[in-house]
Amino acid sequence: MRTIMLLHKLRKNKRGFSTVIAVVLSLVILVVVVANVVLWDYTMNQYDWEKLHEGLSLTVTARSTWFIVQSEYRINNGSITGGSYLDTQADDEIYETFRETAAPRVLDINGTFFIDLAKYPLTYIQGIEILIKFQATDTSEAWFLKAYNWTANTYSNSGFNSTTGYTPTTTTGWDYYQVSITNRWTSYVKSDGKMFIKFHDAGADPTRTTVRIDFLAVRATIALFSFKNNGQVTSHVTSVWVITSTIHSRYDVDFFINSGTAASFFSPNINLPKGSYLVKTITERGNVAVYSVG
Amino acid sequence: MKKLFRNKRAITPVLSSLLLTVITVAAMSLAATAAYVISDNLHQTMGERFIVEDVWFRTGSINVYLHNVGKVDLTVSSVYINFTLQSTSPFALQVGKTGWLNVTYTWTSGKVYHINIVTTRGTKVADYYVAP
Repeated sequence: MRTIMLLHKLRKNKRGFSTVIAVVLSLVILVVVVANVVLWDYTMNQYDWEKLHEGLSLTVTARSTWFIVQSEYRINNGSITGGSYLDTQADDEIYETFRETAAPRVLDINGTFFIDLAKYPLTYIQGIEILIKFQATDTSEAWFLKAYNWTANTYSNSGFNSTTGYTPTTTTGWDYYQVSITNRWTSYVKSDGKMFIKFHDAGADPTRTTVRIDFLAVRATIALFSFKNNGQVTSHVTSVWVITSTIHSRYDVDFFINSGTAASFFSPNINLPKGSYLVKTITERGNVAVYSVG
Repeated sequence: MKKLFRNKRAITPVLSSLLLTVITVAAMSLAATAAYVISDNLHQTMGERFIVEDVWFRTGSINVYLHNVGKVDLTVSSVYINFTLQSTSPFALQVGKTGWLNVTYTWTSGKVYHINIVTTRGTKVADYYVAP
C-alpha cells in the first residue's frame, strides 16, 4: 500500500523520474568505481605481499666432485714399485710409485674412472677435467694425459686444451697437471660414465725415471644451480645472469621451487666462465638471488 | 491522443520530462565515462611494477636491463642519472617482457651513480650502482 502511494506520488511529480535515474546511475557508477579500485588494490597488495615473502638462496656449482680410480692401474710399460691405487685417490701426499722400464726407459699406465651420471646427468655435462698430482725424478721429460676415445677406439688427446704434455718443475715437490676437454668430450665418456685415463712419458730417454702419483682423478664441468626456497610462496625462476667484468649474459629459464624445499637445476646451455664471476637469478615476481664465485 | 491535442499545455510537461531524462542520461554517461577514465588510470598506476635486473657499464653508456613484473604495459619516460635528466627515447615494455634501456653517459670507474627510472604513469625505480 505504501509502495503504491509512493509510485502514485512519483507519477504526480514529473521530475521524480529523472531524480531516480540520476540516483540509481550515480550509485551504480560509485559501486563500480569503488569495487574496481578496491579489488585491484587488494590484488596488487597480495602481489606485493607474495613478493616480500619470497626467499630464495642460490648456490652455483661449476664442477662435479672428483671421481677417482676404481681399481689398480694397468701397467702397459714400467712397473709399480710401491703403494697401491688407493694411495692415488686423495690429495694427501700418500702416493703410489711407478718406475720406467729398463731401456728404452718408458712408463705407460692407465686407470678406470666412473663419472656418477645419476648425480651429474650426461646431457648436462659441458666438459671433462683430468688432474694429476705427481712427482718425477727427472725434470727433462714431458708427461702426457690421454683418455680413451670410445668413438675412435684408441687413446687420444684430441680436443684437450693441452696436447704438448707437461714437464715437471721439481724433483722434491709436487707438480699439478690439469687438462680440460671441452670439445668432443662425449667421445671420451661412455654412456655409463666410464673413462679410461692414460698417463705416459714422452718416450725413450737416457734417464730411468721414478714417478710418484699422489692424486689422479677426473671431474665434469657443469652448470648446476642449487636453490633453497626459505620463503612462504613457490618461486618461479625466469632468468639467470652470468656476469663477468667484460660480459653480462642472460639466459631464459623456467624453473619452479616449492616453498620450504631445495632443488637443483642443470643447464647445458649456460656456460660458466673461469675465474671470478657473479650469478644472479631473477624470479617472476622480480626478486633476485645472487651467488658470487671467486 | 485527442485529449492530448485538445490540452495544449500537455505537450510542455511531456517535452520537459523527455528533456530532463535525456539531460540526466547524458550527464550520467559523462560521469560514467569520467569515472571509468579515472578508475582505469588508477587501476593501471596501481598495477605497474618493474625491476632493474642488471646494470652494465659499457664504454660511453650505461645499459639498464628492465623487467616488467607488473600487471600492465609500461613506458619509461625519463631516466635520471645522479639526479640529472638524461635524453632517452620512450621505452615501452609489455607485461612480463624484458629489455635493455641504453643511456648514453660517460661514467668514471669506481664512482657511485644514482639511477632513477621513471615511467609515464609516475612509477619509479631508483638505486645506487658502482661503476666497475
